[in-house]
Amino acid sequence: MYGGGNIFEASRFDNLAQEDPEKLAEFEARIARGEKIEPSDWMPALYRKQLIRMIEQHAHSEIIGALPEGTWITRAPGFQRKMALMAKVQDEVGHAQLLYSAAETLGKPREQMMQDLINGRSKYSNIFNYPAFTWADSTIISWLVDAGAIVNQLANSKGSYGPYCRALERICAEESFHLKYGHHAVIHLATGTKIQREMVQEALNRWWPPMMHFFGPPDKVSVHTEVLTKWKVKMATNDECRQQFLDMYVPKIWELELTIPDSNLKKNSQTRQWEYSEPDWEEFKRVINGDGPCNKERLAVRRTAEERGRWVREALLTPEAKYVTPLA
Amino acid sequence: MVFDSLDPRINRLNLHLQRQEEYKSVSLDQLPTYEVFLQLKPDKEYQHAGIVHAATPDTAFLFAKEQFSRRYTCTGMWVVSSSCVWVTQCMELEESIYDHLPDDLHETKESMSAYDIFHLYQRGKQHKHAGKLMASGHGDAVIRAKQQLDQGKPVLNIWSVKTSDVRTTGKEDLEIWSTLPQKSHREVISYRAGEKLKLFKEKKHGPPAK
Repeated sequence: MYGGGNIFEASRFDNLAQEDPEKLAEFEARIARGEKIEPSDWMPALYRKQLIRMIEQHAHSEIIGALPEGTWITRAPGFQRKMALMAKVQDEVGHAQLLYSAAETLGKPREQMMQDLINGRSKYSNIFNYPAFTWADSTIISWLVDAGAIVNQLANSKGSYGPYCRALERICAEESFHLKYGHHAVIHLATGTKIQREMVQEALNRWWPPMMHFFGPPDKVSVHTEVLTKWKVKMATNDECRQQFLDMYVPKIWELELTIPDSNLKKNSQTRQWEYSEPDWEEFKRVINGDGPCNKERLAVRRTAEERGRWVREALLTPEAKYVTPLA
Repeated sequence: MVFDSLDPRINRLNLHLQRQEEYKSVSLDQLPTYEVFLQLKPDKEYQHAGIVHAATPDTAFLFAKEQFSRRYTCTGMWVVSSSCVWVTQCMELEESIYDHLPDDLHETKESMSAYDIFHLYQRGKQHKHAGKLMASGHGDAVIRAKQQLDQGKPVLNIWSVKTSDVRTTGKEDLEIWSTLPQKSHREVISYRAGEKLKLFKEKKHGPPAK
């Protein structure tokens, strides 16, 4: 799974005039020809910086995202569900490793990424700062959050940076099981007893607002965004991804006769766009800045895992071990 | 402050939320990296799959199986420390790195060892094993590769690895893939729910009109 809605911010270091114009032209021509950029190629500082930021956020989202779903592993209803959920959570952690590796090829060591995550200097998807109160919450995450993730990841897999695209291709192949498993588990509840239906409806009510936040606020159109689009770093706008998600999944939710908690949600037959109540973007900002229901718990768990596992890593290390940037 | 989590596993950790001091990673805290190569079928060449972080070649091998072959089996897997891979410059399209290497070998009295050579044929794709040869060092290995392994197809980039640095798959390792066919809970096919959904709709609205 993956938290979408990357917010690409310009900074004072983003001045392209400092780049070698000849190398910049070659770089842009390569992307225009549809070729991938590889780690040993020349790239503008802005491209490197934004990709590290984006891939790192994506990786953090995968390991932190394993926590709300993992909440229900010990109490999954039945052995098959427990096995499936464990396999899914293992996949998510594996996805994090693939993504950290892709970010490392750009020159940021994994130690630094872990440190920035735990100290709150780099973000992860906001949606994982919400709690999974019941088993039904876990099924809604497996279905709808993964569905949103696939929309984002398929778009990004057509991007220009080779190692990121290769990681995403592998990830997308595995996500198909997650989506099917999540849909299967939601159908089971929605077609079950009255209590099961109520349980899944309540979970949908809880997760719908964070799901609308998931793709991020509408993009600000700027020269900066245009450059990142031209370089195939940004492959779709946040609103395009949100619309695609609504197009694919609202009918599937309605088919189960579940109610989406937004009375304004409808597809405009003329514009062919979904209309919806704007989610509370103030809450989005507040949660992303650390004041959500689970932010502290998520980071405390990550920090504890790193600290308490350190002695094992130290014991295993051999004196000749040395770090080099991975190759591809 | 110890807090209550919805996850009983986390409650057992007795976590404290109010810690203020900065978390600091130390060098190699995440362990060094190993490059992983997979052979998907017996007659196929080994191909680069990605990397894992691990402390030793043996643990790298186990992590690589979990990372790259827990869902689909393979007939062989190699891991090699990233620091042991010797890399040439990367060429542009249609240009072969072999065209920039000398044809002549220097006579050497140094002892010869086995090297594995990997080729990159296309940008965006991954390196494939091209062959094995004897050489006195990495530089010598790529020059010998020009004579022995260059098929005329443009090779954009070469990786050279000393064979003794590669952790290969032994017969005793094959067991780690033996339970894979039993893990159908990881397969899409195990989650068909169309029939249940159809019955639900029929119960609510009657059978679909023909």
